[in-house]
Amino acid sequence: MSTYKPIVEKRVDNALTNDFLRKATRRATDRLRHNKYNAADELGDWEKWRLAGDTIRSHVIANLDYYLKQLITQVEKNGGHVHLAQTPSEAVDIVSKIARDHGAKTIIKSKSMVSEEIHLNKVLEKDGISVVETDLGEYILQVAGEVPSHIIVPAMHKTRQQVAEIFEPLAGHPLSSDTPTLTKFVRQQMRQKFLQGDIGITGCNFAVAETGSITMVTNEGNGRMVSTLPRVQITLMGMERIVPSFRELSVLLNLLGRSATGQRLSSYTTILTPPKQSTDADGPEEFHLVILDHNRSEILGDPTFRQSLKCIRCGACFNVCPVYRQIGGHAYGSVYAGPIGSVITPLLENDWEKWGHLPYFSSLCGACTEACPVRIPLHDLLVKLRARKTMTGHTPQIEKRIFQAYRYMFTHEKTLRQALRLGARFQFPFVQHDRIVSGPPPLSNWTKSKTLPKVASKSFMYLWAEAKHKGTIPTPNSKE
Amino acid sequence: MTNTNDFISLLASKLGRSTPQSAPEPAAFDVPSFQVSSQERVRTFLDNWQALGGKGAIVKSPDEAIQCLQEWFGDLSFAQTTNQGTIVSWNLLPAFAESAFTTLNWPLARYSQAAPSPQDRHQLAAQAELGVTGADWGVALSGTIVTSSNPQRGRAVSLLPPRHLTVMETSKIRNTIAEILSEVSALENPPAALEFITGPSRTSDIEMDLSIGVHGPIEVYVLLIDDSEDTASNSSD
Ligand code: SF4
Repeated sequence: MSTYKPIVEKRVDNALTNDFLRKATRRATDRLRHNKYNAADELGDWEKWRLAGDTIRSHVIANLDYYLKQLITQVEKNGGHVHLAQTPSEAVDIVSKIARDHGAKTIIKSKSMVSEEIHLNKVLEKDGISVVETDLGEYILQVAGEVPSHIIVPAMHKTRQQVAEIFEPLAGHPLSSDTPTLTKFVRQQMRQKFLQGDIGITGCNFAVAETGSITMVTNEGNGRMVSTLPRVQITLMGMERIVPSFRELSVLLNLLGRSATGQRLSSYTTILTPPKQSTDADGPEEFHLVILDHNRSEILGDPTFRQSLKCIRCGACFNVCPVYRQIGGHAYGSVYAGPIGSVITPLLENDWEKWGHLPYFSSLCGACTEACPVRIPLHDLLVKLRARKTMTGHTPQIEKRIFQAYRYMFTHEKTLRQALRLGARFQFPFVQHDRIVSGPPPLSNWTKSKTLPKVASKSFMYLWAEAKHKGTIPTPNSKE
Repeated sequence: MTNTNDFISLLASKLGRSTPQSAPEPAAFDVPSFQVSSQERVRTFLDNWQALGGKGAIVKSPDEAIQCLQEWFGDLSFAQTTNQGTIVSWNLLPAFAESAFTTLNWPLARYSQAAPSPQDRHQLAAQAELGVTGADWGVALSGTIVTSSNPQRGRAVSLLPPRHLTVMETSKIRNTIAEILSEVSALENPPAALEFITGPSRTSDIEMDLSIGVHGPIEVYVLLIDDSEDTASNSSD
């Protein structure tokens, strides 16, 4: 049995018994979803936009080697440094070496999912560097010692009272939990940190191959701070996060803002072509672009799952997913949650034992596929991942046994009849109102939360034989 | 760190071919366009800007500009302050704005020239009450102002002070970001920073409750200078 099973079950149980979390997750996802509908409607013919997004991203993925090479050449021509990392630990080493070379004491960071993916902060902090998350949601989680639960609204699962309690030790006095007070507190806290940062680390929503530019989208302005004030800027990106030129960029920016939060454009959309020009008053003198593979190349080589690389990390699939809406992001246990997280995590981590449960975090309703602005067939990929998991031999023993028994029964008529008869006779302790409501393990796993129809006293096979005997079986072309 | 050739040829092998030597045929796509008349464009821009909580006005003469600035910032009594640096600005603003600030006797600290060290400049902007910039473009559809960086223009001016005022001619307003990005593509090199600013700094990170000004400006203003050719004929009727 997988050693991860109890851990996964515990995470899910925790989520299901945490009423606030479930309410908060539903409220937030509802809000985001409705904003998105409005913003998409207003654009006119949203499907045309989705098709364009799909076309652009598919084109990039099919030519990823060409565009990546062009991007690297262009960034270097602009005077930036490019670092290629095959694995998360290589990426971490690159960043910590840059930090050491500059004797950095404080690093200010805007949101970067890749930095979560490579678990960067832990290592930098071990080197004695103070790393400050500057996105409000990320900062709340950093002080609380937690990880994000949503890709766009990382601290979605926290109440305002909890946030106030988290910040009180920093404030040294009680804080009122109204939003303006908390926001103001963070503004004051952050100001000095922004001005003192030796290095800024940013994520990257899209890199532009033709010009060597990187695009960052934020609402708070922290992305601008991090890329304007420090002398050195490091940008982390997954290697698929590319567009060919500004022409395609404008389509994707439209799709991203609207799909993520329902905004026509996020408050701050910044297209940087660093480093700064030598006489510019602001901006980094030194620019490092770290490009991460981490099994993305394996995904690229797999024609079935290649499409998952089209993702623009908008979070729209999270907000419509009935599973995510019930359990929130932490129950997934992975850096990337939601439907897209369930698709890419087993592939990126290449660990079915640990992450093979994720493709089952889906009702296969297809809402994610419908929401996705670049038309990734998410639910279809989830089914294929389940098949992939089974082929790798990671099916739990109990599931294997059940399917073996099923196969045996349905190929041995006599035994099946006997079993049904026995079932009908001995099920009574578990039946209430004609439904099976409890049972011994492994049946109890099902009956804990759902019921089953009881075994009929006369099975279909029995009725069929009886009718045949009496000659009352209707034929397809009989008049009655 | 992996070397570039290995990295790229791994991808090529995964794609089952060698890396193309010349640029692939660009992706063909077609999206609905958004286009309105120039007058409507200015109106749409302003409506969208205000809907996000920004303040804005269209002015036709320096007098109107002065009136507007007084209404917005009169209470801050910039004229009385002895502290140079309460208003920090780009080296050069549109002529309307320059003359308005001179008439009002509100001294402008020019960011790029204010101090030799970046740290001192950042401090100056962080302590200012108001940052004043121009803009290169506006986007009607989203109510966005767009600035590109150059040595005369500090990027922190629109970022660190609690208030940000943009002064821009109405002729700079375009329909969509697509139009602007195609103008930028035509430049030889893009600027080090091209900033699209849409309203004040905002966050919904605490219980999805919208809150303004967590990092960037809390109040944003745009002063539109009407430079449309038909202004003269319009105002005479
Ligand atoms: S899979 Fe699609 S919907 Fe989900 S985050 Fe990625 S782009 Fe958005």
